[in-house]
Amino acid sequence: MGGIICAIRGGPHSRPTIARAIALAQETGQPLYFLYVVNLDFLSHTSSTRVHTISEEMDQMGDFILLMAKDEAARHRVEAQGVIRHGNVLDEIIALCHELRAEYLVLGHPKIGREDTVFTHEQLQRFVARIEEQTGAKVILAGEAVP
Amino acid sequence: MSKQVRLWGLLALLLAGSLLLTLLTGPDSRADEPLPALLTGSVYDRQGTPVRDAEVRLYDGSGGEPLAETTTQPDGRYALVLPETFGDNLTVHIERAHFAATDIPLDAETVTALRAGQSVVLPDTTLLRRITAAFWIATAIFAAVLILIATGQLHNTLAALLGASALFAVSYLGPLLAPELFIFDFEGALRYIDWNVIFLIMGMMIVIAVVERTGIFQWLAFMAYRLSRGKLWLMLPILMVVTGVASAFLDNVTTMLLMTPMTVQIALAMGVNPLALLIPEVLASNVVGISTLVGTPTNILIGSYANLSFNDFLLNLTPGVVLALLGLIVYSELVYRKSFRAAGGGGLSPVLLQALAERGRITQPDHLKKAGVVGAGMIVLFVLGEHIHLLPAVTAIMGATALLVWIRPNIEEMIEAVDWTTLVFFMTLFICVGAIQEVGLISFIADLIGNLVGENLLLAMLVVTWSSALLSTVIANIPFTAAMLPVIGYLTLTIPGAESKVLFYCLSVGSAMGGNGSLIGASANMVTAGIAERAGHPITYGYFFKKGFPALLITVSLAMLWLLLHFLVL
Repeated sequence: MGGIICAIRGGPHSRPTIARAIALAQETGQPLYFLYVVNLDFLSHTSSTRVHTISEEMDQMGDFILLMAKDEAARHRVEAQGVIRHGNVLDEIIALCHELRAEYLVLGHPKIGREDTVFTHEQLQRFVARIEEQTGAKVILAGEAVP
Repeated sequence: MSKQVRLWGLLALLLAGSLLLTLLTGPDSRADEPLPALLTGSVYDRQGTPVRDAEVRLYDGSGGEPLAETTTQPDGRYALVLPETFGDNLTVHIERAHFAATDIPLDAETVTALRAGQSVVLPDTTLLRRITAAFWIATAIFAAVLILIATGQLHNTLAALLGASALFAVSYLGPLLAPELFIFDFEGALRYIDWNVIFLIMGMMIVIAVVERTGIFQWLAFMAYRLSRGKLWLMLPILMVVTGVASAFLDNVTTMLLMTPMTVQIALAMGVNPLALLIPEVLASNVVGISTLVGTPTNILIGSYANLSFNDFLLNLTPGVVLALLGLIVYSELVYRKSFRAAGGGGLSPVLLQALAERGRITQPDHLKKAGVVGAGMIVLFVLGEHIHLLPAVTAIMGATALLVWIRPNIEEMIEAVDWTTLVFFMTLFICVGAIQEVGLISFIADLIGNLVGENLLLAMLVVTWSSALLSTVIANIPFTAAMLPVIGYLTLTIPGAESKVLFYCLSVGSAMGGNGSLIGASANMVTAGIAERAGHPITYGYFFKKGFPALLITVSLAMLWLLLHFLVL
């Protein structure tokens, strides 16, 4: 086993992350897995009975985002696979690292102070340490540097 | 002896017995007795609304046991049956919780008439409101519910349920400490629930649950791409119209839940920021949703309260909505023109195009056809309903049942698809609004607005529309609309010209289009933001305000213009 896991959400901030993961795959020759986690917490205050339907829709959207990432990898002659998971983003990342015994985990680097990032800087540092300790995978932060 | 002979014998015996009894007792001795005198009247509040359940007692002299007593009916009327003998100093005493008690001394002429056995109708009585501790408690509970909903501290349903429970706790346990803490009893609270609204929403939920699984939304979104041939400036209005029309018949949240993922995929494939399509879509959903009775929960509330039919909304509101949508399309094209230019309108990669085409297809054509037939039938009944006295709720339930019987889906899944939490939300919300109506807060607000606008209909239209639009940016529009309905009802009675119910349309425009002013203004905004965020394109509060608030000003102004022309000029 082994390989590179690249967790993405799509959008412009995922592009440097995808590029870094593709470059790493080229450097190491390890298999590349793009991970998209479906999280429906945003429905908790509105439409709880729509979870089944919207879950399928989000799967399709996640598939499409992964397809774009795989398309990008293919253009660099890197074969990649897409993985969709449901639940808490951090838990699912750790779980997949365990399952695949991943050697590398590529994550987007958050810009401090932005309200749309999954992690704050402190949370990210703790998370990186936790993953490296629990899974043995080396975490690589791609994209913007911390100001 | 045959059965027939025995039957005739029995009938003859009964007839003979009846005749004998009549002869023995003679004519009814009571027929000659004079009927008791009746003292009747009606009780209203300051807004002219009948006051039900007021206790009415007739006293002779100063106190003691009442000569007669009764309670007012739902229409505010009462009738006291007088005893055979009574004195000269009669007083009618009327009292009810949350109102100041009143005494009406009867003049000598009235007393004489009553003594002669005549029935007397007293002039209408107006009860004045009284602010008690219950007033402040009910107001505080309602405000707390609004805050909990607005801040998202609790699920909407849980917040309203908590409010209703707190009101009952105060009503039942409070009087043990002080009688003035009574708000209403359980029976009284249930009277405030509008079952027409509940059943209409439930019926539409079942229909939507069938339609949403057919793939129609995804197909429509993909057709928008195909029709526009990848030209973003053309795809934008097509998507807005498609979303708007869907929102006019289905609820906005479902429409956006199903349109957003596909729109995101089209945008990503075309290399344009998905927000350039999603924001105009959700704005259109909020605007066009109010063009029919069933398009938004606020319209369902308004229609049921004001007895406005499906046709009323179509004739009086839809032209204004179309005008607002045109303005919104022009605005959206201007706002996002740079994003469209930056995308360059490049073609899709074959892999992505194939994936989109695969997604944008009808998955259950048979169900879609049947849903189309039933949906068309429902629209016909909605339109004809007012002529044949068919309530929209009945049409919705009949349509939903017909669809279920025809397609025979998994009934468990269909029942699960009904958003029971939303129905409980509405029921408990009605109770919370009923409480502030009961204690008089609504009357005070009605008086306040009534004093502000006087008899000026134009001013009233402007105040109702813009105040609801601006307040709906921060207050959840469903509880807001539910609370405003009695206020608008009062203004409709008191302002000359308002009997056309124009103020209800103003409330509809303000409360729905006001949702475009902020991210939290409408549930559809929140679910769109949730999905967009999961696609890596978050919609921040600031971003939505920058795009949505100008849209609010444009669309409300245009809809307002139509209402002014339609009701005041044309």
